[in-house]
Amino acid sequence: MKRNVIRKIIEGLSLTSVMFVFQACYGTPQDFGLDLLIEGQVKSKASGLPIKGIKVSVAHNMQYVQTDEEGKFSFYAEASKELTLRFQDIDSDQNGLYVDKDTVLTDLSKNVYLDIALEEK
Amino acid sequence: MLSSIKKYCFRKFRDSETKRHELNYLFWECTRRCNLNCLHCGSDCSKESIHRDMPAEDFFQAIDTIENIPQNFTVVFTGGEPLLRKDLEFCGKELRKRGFKWSIVTNGYLYDKQRHISLLNAGIGALTISLDGLKESHNWLRNNEKSFDKVINAIELAASSKRINFDIVTCVNQKNINELEQIRDLLILKNVKAWRLFTIIPIGRACHNSDLSLTDNQFVQLLDFIVKCRKSKEIDVKFSCEGYVGKYELLVRDSYFFCRAGINIGSILIDGSISACPNIDRAFSQGNIYTDNFYEIWKNKFQLFRNREWTKIGQCKSCEEYKDCQGNGFHNWHGEKNNVLVCHNGKVENAMKVKNLLH
Repeated sequence: MKRNVIRKIIEGLSLTSVMFVFQACYGTPQDFGLDLLIEGQVKSKASGLPIKGIKVSVAHNMQYVQTDEEGKFSFYAEASKELTLRFQDIDSDQNGLYVDKDTVLTDLSKNVYLDIALEEK
Repeated sequence: MLSSIKKYCFRKFRDSETKRHELNYLFWECTRRCNLNCLHCGSDCSKESIHRDMPAEDFFQAIDTIENIPQNFTVVFTGGEPLLRKDLEFCGKELRKRGFKWSIVTNGYLYDKQRHISLLNAGIGALTISLDGLKESHNWLRNNEKSFDKVINAIELAASSKRINFDIVTCVNQKNINELEQIRDLLILKNVKAWRLFTIIPIGRACHNSDLSLTDNQFVQLLDFIVKCRKSKEIDVKFSCEGYVGKYELLVRDSYFFCRAGINIGSILIDGSISACPNIDRAFSQGNIYTDNFYEIWKNKFQLFRNREWTKIGQCKSCEEYKDCQGNGFHNWHGEKNNVLVCHNGKVENAMKVKNLLH
């Protein structure tokens, strides 16, 4: 703690702003951690069974994943004040036919877990 | 007066960081395979490598020895070309589970839309892409006629994501020194925010090509270009931290020169060696993850990195700038280590002497 304070003081005195945010000469810039983990499971509203192959995407963004055998999905998304997730059945009737659904996330201060139920067509 | 106080404070800061010796930045040389065959490769990488890729579990076993993970701890995947690893996203997710951030250094050739999405999904946070000139000069250095188009595509993808903190690096050489302004304009057009400029150190394949090194005058031309760009503030341009540049310090970067290799920067190399930046002479390895506890080595060894008095040899022995330079970037000590490979400040001073004589 005391050391950190001393570091900050020396940093201020040398009037250079980036001493704690360095990058190696052949390395990348620092990651400022501007994302959050979004996880969840997609099930059928009628049967309660997990649905495979549902496309989970972020609206206005190219990112997407597909649900696995257990209907589960997991990905990191860019942190923002609000995020719209889109759940789409894209594999025709291969794993059943379901109505698309949008979910708006507003509390993005921490990682998110979602239970999504899709209605059958 | 103010400048002297700043320098004094910075030296104190550097000494305190050296004593503290906190691991903040870890390179993982996850493959030595590369899809390109660049003329300047300091690692002598090629399509086939005698080293097999390090299994992910070996790497995780090593880093799981790290105690009290420092804030902003980052793992940087390097190579070879990291995108050749099919389990890159798996490794990235595993790192995030452990609370580590991660990033990659890439030549951009394999960075297409699908890979961009899967890397974002896996929690990538930063990226460095190499662009070494306009089409002809880039493809010449990269030894591949499609490389420029591929890397421009990669840059456009990276620039489209607010999530990724990315920059472009350019190795300045005889072929591209006179097109820096055009490269800058191209990067601005592509919405790139940060650009780092390097010179090429004569190690690996770079030893064999005289077109790769800059003359003293060209080196000063490069630094003057960076100074000019930084004034205009259209894009964040800086000189890499490869070496001490005397009177140009703070004019070409945000902070004074400080080689943090082995002080805050460590690496796990392809054969398990524990070292600092991957371009450092491998004779400096401090241990091996297959025989040693990684974090014990980090904490208890690395003396040659933390006390650089041994670099007071050759032209550094009587140099007046030594207390600020401390033997230049650590990767400048190869082979017999009787003298620094490149003295950046020496190049600046030589160019100035010639200029003064002419006037």
